[in-house]
Amino acid sequence: MNETAHILLVDDEATLREPLADYLIKQNFRVQQAADASVARSLLNARDFDIILSDIMMPGEDGLSFCRHVRERTDIPVIFISAKTEETERIIGLELGADDYITKPFSPRELVARIKVVLRRAAGNGQKSGNNKGAVYQFSGWTLKTDQRSLLDESGVNVPLSSGEYQLLLALLSRAGHVLNRDQLLDMTQGREAHAFDRAVDNQISRVRRKIEKDPKNPEIIKTVWGGGYVLAGPVTQI
Amino acid sequence: MTRFLPKSLVGQLLLLIAVTLLIAQAFNIFLLYRGAQNQHLSEASAAAVARIVGEIERMNDSRYEERRERRFRRGRRVIPLLSDAAPAVPDAQPLRAVTERAVQAFVNMGLSIRTVEVWETARLPAALQQSVIGVGRGRRLTEEIRRPMARKPARPPVRGFVVVSAELEDGRWMSVATALKDRDVRALRPLMIQTVVLYLLLLVPLIWIGRYISRPLHRLTKVANDFQPGKNDPVPESGPPDTRQLISAFNDMNERVGAMLDEKDIMLGAIGHDLRTPLAALRVRIENVADDVERERMIAGIEDMDRMLDDILSLARLGRSAEPMEATDISALIETVVDEFDDLGRDVTFKRGERHVVKVRGVLLRRALRNLISNAIAYGNNAVISVEKSGDDLSIIVEDSGPGIPDDQIEAMFDPFARVEGSRNRATGGSGLGLTLARSIARIHGGDVRLENRPNGGLRASIIITDGSP
Repeated sequence: MNETAHILLVDDEATLREPLADYLIKQNFRVQQAADASVARSLLNARDFDIILSDIMMPGEDGLSFCRHVRERTDIPVIFISAKTEETERIIGLELGADDYITKPFSPRELVARIKVVLRRAAGNGQKSGNNKGAVYQFSGWTLKTDQRSLLDESGVNVPLSSGEYQLLLALLSRAGHVLNRDQLLDMTQGREAHAFDRAVDNQISRVRRKIEKDPKNPEIIKTVWGGGYVLAGPVTQI
Repeated sequence: MTRFLPKSLVGQLLLLIAVTLLIAQAFNIFLLYRGAQNQHLSEASAAAVARIVGEIERMNDSRYEERRERRFRRGRRVIPLLSDAAPAVPDAQPLRAVTERAVQAFVNMGLSIRTVEVWETARLPAALQQSVIGVGRGRRLTEEIRRPMARKPARPPVRGFVVVSAELEDGRWMSVATALKDRDVRALRPLMIQTVVLYLLLLVPLIWIGRYISRPLHRLTKVANDFQPGKNDPVPESGPPDTRQLISAFNDMNERVGAMLDEKDIMLGAIGHDLRTPLAALRVRIENVADDVERERMIAGIEDMDRMLDDILSLARLGRSAEPMEATDISALIETVVDEFDDLGRDVTFKRGERHVVKVRGVLLRRALRNLISNAIAYGNNAVISVEKSGDDLSIIVEDSGPGIPDDQIEAMFDPFARVEGSRNRATGGSGLGLTLARSIARIHGGDVRLENRPNGGLRASIIITDGSP
């Protein structure tokens, strides 16, 4: 973990940007501020950054367009900071290759936690959510659509999942057939939502099972591996 | 009575025209029938007059009496009756118009006749048994009259007789009867065919015109019914000019409403953005507050404001949700919400029943349910959720064991910013929009939110959604 990670903070509102930069510096990050996307672009050319925090609604070029620009050139992870909370926009943000999304007003501690998760994922070979965009997984009669974050049964009926359940299922699907232990699952799923931290993986697993297994007591899709871990059994096709 | 009348414009139009046409046609048939009837009587009497004229001419023969006798013997038929007085005709109806024509006929023939009388009668006087025109040979007349339809007769059955009696110069009366044939029903067939053809000729284009008028109206009605402000495609302008104008006015209105709502959305978005950014700045600065208790309180204050902002913005944007209606497993949806509360350590249980799939906007419905459960926990400390299905309605029921709400205040609870009166617990928080929002969301799903006090204490809140909604 690089404790002096270099952050590019892009936000047009100085009232938020400056105290946030101060806070992040106190948390041992190096921070460069940009008041708009064009400043950010030039900073990006001049220096190396480990992560970008960007507002979405900005005068001039907006955050989505800036993120696309970043994605075309670099692998620097992006976390959006935005006031918009509509579910659909959350999806758009992740679709464009942003690694996470946090809505104003946010807890600065949570932001730091997420920054660390994203940095850790970027440093390792961790699965980047940006790579999954638009993927559709089919398994045991179920369909998981990542662009809408929706799980559909054989007849196309939507079975709602919480964010945690979705992340867990996605993690298991992207490593279908591999046994994932609790730590790996935590690592792959946490950091997305505010309340994703405290959830026990086992609890989440049993909730997902209740929704997708014919008999949750005798799971056939998500199997428990003796010695600590879970595996998604059965064939998975990714479209 | 009125419930048998068609409800639609086309139906009423068609019924009106069909009835009018039927009345006109019935009148037509009546006139035709009467005309034919007169014609028939005239013809019958003309035949009788001709016989009488013939007989009068025979009387000039010196051997007339002898020959007349022979004809009787041979059983010849239609020998005009000669009598000293006018024959007694039972139930006779004098036919004045026909009489005049008969007199005219005699005059035209140059015969001098004292009086002519023409009657119509149902029964033939016995005296005229052999003086009848138009009855089959060798068959007993009475029999034919009595059983007119016994066998299918070669001729149509006899309906009555026209009796023409003429008083001759010498004071004797000469009489001939003509059988009146029953008008064959088949004779009406052309008229019926004509009626049917008329109906077809009129009704087919009428139905077409009716549909031409009503189809665009139907379409307009449907769009107006499912009116989603600003999200409607313009209704195609078709039909007659009046209808087109109506549709065009509707489309313009739709566009204006849409523009207004777009403006509102932009404004709300700006408000949301502009308020949240300083809130976020404040939230960041709060981290610098050293006093833990103070900091936590400030954080809670900001979170309250954020939730309130969120509720206000959602309520304002509710009618314009971009979320599609999707067939959704309602139990799984409820579980997702219940688990959120479970994670926070709240006492929330879901009595899972059978699976129900309904088309809903999942994010919104979850929000409505979350609001009801929050209320149950705030005022009743626990929540028990169950699902009931009756007909097309699916109710998601949230029950608590709190104090409930006085019956006369229940409806007022749905007003924005309403709170249970005298609630000691001001710390229950919330924006005061929770129920308003829940009800609006339920109404989007063709249902409602209902509150009632449970008989054994506590409140029962139900979100009712209609299954089979589009």
